[in-house]
Amino acid sequence: MEKIENITQAYSQAPWRKQLQIIGLFSLFLVFIALVAGIYLNVSAQTASTGRDIQYMKGQIETLDREIEDMQSQIALLLSDHVMEKRAQSMGFQPIEMNQSEYLQVSGYQERQGVVLAPYTRQEVLKAPTIPEEYTQPLVDWIKVQLNWISISLPEIVP
Amino acid sequence: MNKKYIWRYNLVGGLMFIMPVLVVFQMVRIKVNPLQVEKLIRVGISFSGEYRFYTPARGRIYDRWGNLMVGNKTAYEVGIEIRKVRNPSTIAQTLELVLGLDYADVYAAASLDATETAVYRVVATNVEEEQINQLILLIEQMEELYGSSREKDAPSLSGLTFKPHLQRIYPDNELASNIIGFVNREGVGFYGVEEKYNDLLAGDESFVWIPLHPGRVQELPEIPEGASLVLTIDRAIQRVMERVIDDAIDETGADSGTLIVIDPETGELLALAATKRLNANEYWKYQEVFTDETPFNPIVSQAYEPGSVFKIFTMVSALDSGAVTTETEFIDTGVFEIGGTRIYNWNMGAWGLQNMQGCMQHSLNVCLAWVADQLGPKDFYQYMLSFGFGQLTGVDLAGEVPGRLKAPGDGDWYDADLGTNSFGQGVSVTPLQMVIAASALANQGKMMAPHIVRSVINDGYQHDIEQRVIGMPIKAETAQIISEMLARSLEKESSDALVTGYRLAGKTGTAEIPTQYGYTSNETNASFIGWGPADDPQFLVYVWLEKPKSSQWGSVVAAPVFRKAVEQLVVLMDIPPDDVRSELYGN
Repeated sequence: MEKIENITQAYSQAPWRKQLQIIGLFSLFLVFIALVAGIYLNVSAQTASTGRDIQYMKGQIETLDREIEDMQSQIALLLSDHVMEKRAQSMGFQPIEMNQSEYLQVSGYQERQGVVLAPYTRQEVLKAPTIPEEYTQPLVDWIKVQLNWISISLPEIVP
Repeated sequence: MNKKYIWRYNLVGGLMFIMPVLVVFQMVRIKVNPLQVEKLIRVGISFSGEYRFYTPARGRIYDRWGNLMVGNKTAYEVGIEIRKVRNPSTIAQTLELVLGLDYADVYAAASLDATETAVYRVVATNVEEEQINQLILLIEQMEELYGSSREKDAPSLSGLTFKPHLQRIYPDNELASNIIGFVNREGVGFYGVEEKYNDLLAGDESFVWIPLHPGRVQELPEIPEGASLVLTIDRAIQRVMERVIDDAIDETGADSGTLIVIDPETGELLALAATKRLNANEYWKYQEVFTDETPFNPIVSQAYEPGSVFKIFTMVSALDSGAVTTETEFIDTGVFEIGGTRIYNWNMGAWGLQNMQGCMQHSLNVCLAWVADQLGPKDFYQYMLSFGFGQLTGVDLAGEVPGRLKAPGDGDWYDADLGTNSFGQGVSVTPLQMVIAASALANQGKMMAPHIVRSVINDGYQHDIEQRVIGMPIKAETAQIISEMLARSLEKESSDALVTGYRLAGKTGTAEIPTQYGYTSNETNASFIGWGPADDPQFLVYVWLEKPKSSQWGSVVAAPVFRKAVEQLVVLMDIPPDDVRSELYGN
């Protein structure tokens, strides 16, 4: 009996070693948690930062749209009929009279066509790449999805 | 451990116990109290985003060649954020000075107590950028001078805010204003294309939720802007025609005038010139411009008795039905009795033996009343209906009226009406109805749907409006016969409407204006309708002068206006003289 106790004592770990192992495991767990929290924080910060950028750019788009409208109207004012007429007159041009026209046949000439300001038919436009869900879903949801996936896959793995 | 300090550990321990208990208690309290839940959700939502009334940019309007006729420019809404106001008096004084607003109104708005509902007040809209720049400068100066002051009455423009938005601009001022219409401060289109296509141009105004949380940017709504329109109008032709009709008004002293140019082959309206015209940039001056009964767009909104130009429809109907031929003869005794009413010629004379060519050439009321009688009321009114009289043309312009065509069966129709209607009396039409009906004569018997919008640009794509045939009241051969008849009439009369080098077909019209005592006044509606080149019509022009003073006759006042219009038109449309065209194209 004493012999067995001696063997057990010989092969059992020292109490300080057990404590060290527990501390080590706990530290490992803490490091893992810190790592996950760090990654989560990093991804969240990046998402928030990108979101703010997008919000800012949306605002810029609105401003630019207004500026484009303003500029188009400015161009239209500069090219308006009465302004163009004054400019033409100041450059020495005069309205043409009916009997001043001379008509020539020019082969290949096509008469003026009405304006086309946009494409006529709906063309197939390549879709912008969509962001994978992993980049947008919260970490908890992602873990749930992964766990579900594992639970679905497991029966297939087990023979 | 020193027992002296053990209470500290107990305190920390106690606090660490109580805090989670309080948290759990609060969670439970919130969960079990629905009012609290609702309130907290509301508070949460209010911080997570905002509802915003979103007005998309109103679509632009171009002429057929892409010249921008209606656009948008930035204007500002001036408002007051009540919570931030420090000195209402400064705000009221400043806005009175810079924007000309009423001091009392602004002061009242700025003095409101901030509550959940009283957060923001609009005090001015459509403010120009220059005025906003003045206000910004004042704000900066005031901040520099009094920003650090802690005095209660220190001048301050704190709370004054500006929000940019788009407002309409019409670069060509009053050009084509009758067709285009205008948009009021509330963004609603009135008259013309702006009213007819208001929903399409304005897009979908919406009250949308804008999330402020950066993680929810994908929820930001994408709101498309309003559709843009390309008109059939040619800006250069429109300008020239407006000048021609303005000059005609000056020369003849007419009350008003209209001049329409259409491509009879397609139904595209190339120019619609009318008096009076409003600068749509200053639409609030409407009542200063339209002081009498003249409608905003008389081309579709004013019905009148057309007079002799209507004879072409009587004649073409009789020719088409076979009631008469070009060689049919008629002895004009100067009077024709129908339904108990005596019809006389315009000069009260008797013109003797005439064929149908002569009847049209001399514009004989007696002959045309006889022709209508030969045709019979059933066929006559059937033809008139098929020409579209008494009905809307369906043109895409706001405010169209149908005119009036009495017909057998109507309570106020009498047999005599057949005689008077035959030469355009007792029937009311709009200028556009006349043009569309006559387009059948110039286009092989086919009437095309009149339209002012050529294309719609929506969602980044252009869609052309389909050209449609809306009727074929007469045969193609009959159309050719009447064109030839009218071209000869002009040539034989040496009409003032003739244009050197171009063979044209046309007809004058002089209509007495009915009063409540009958046709007693000396005032007339003078008009001319014509098209050319006669063998291949590329334009149809209609001139109507209301109550001209220099002469009451259409042949004297309206025919020269037609000639002037065509002389300019052939240049702008690149239509060579007949001999050159024949030489170039071998026609």
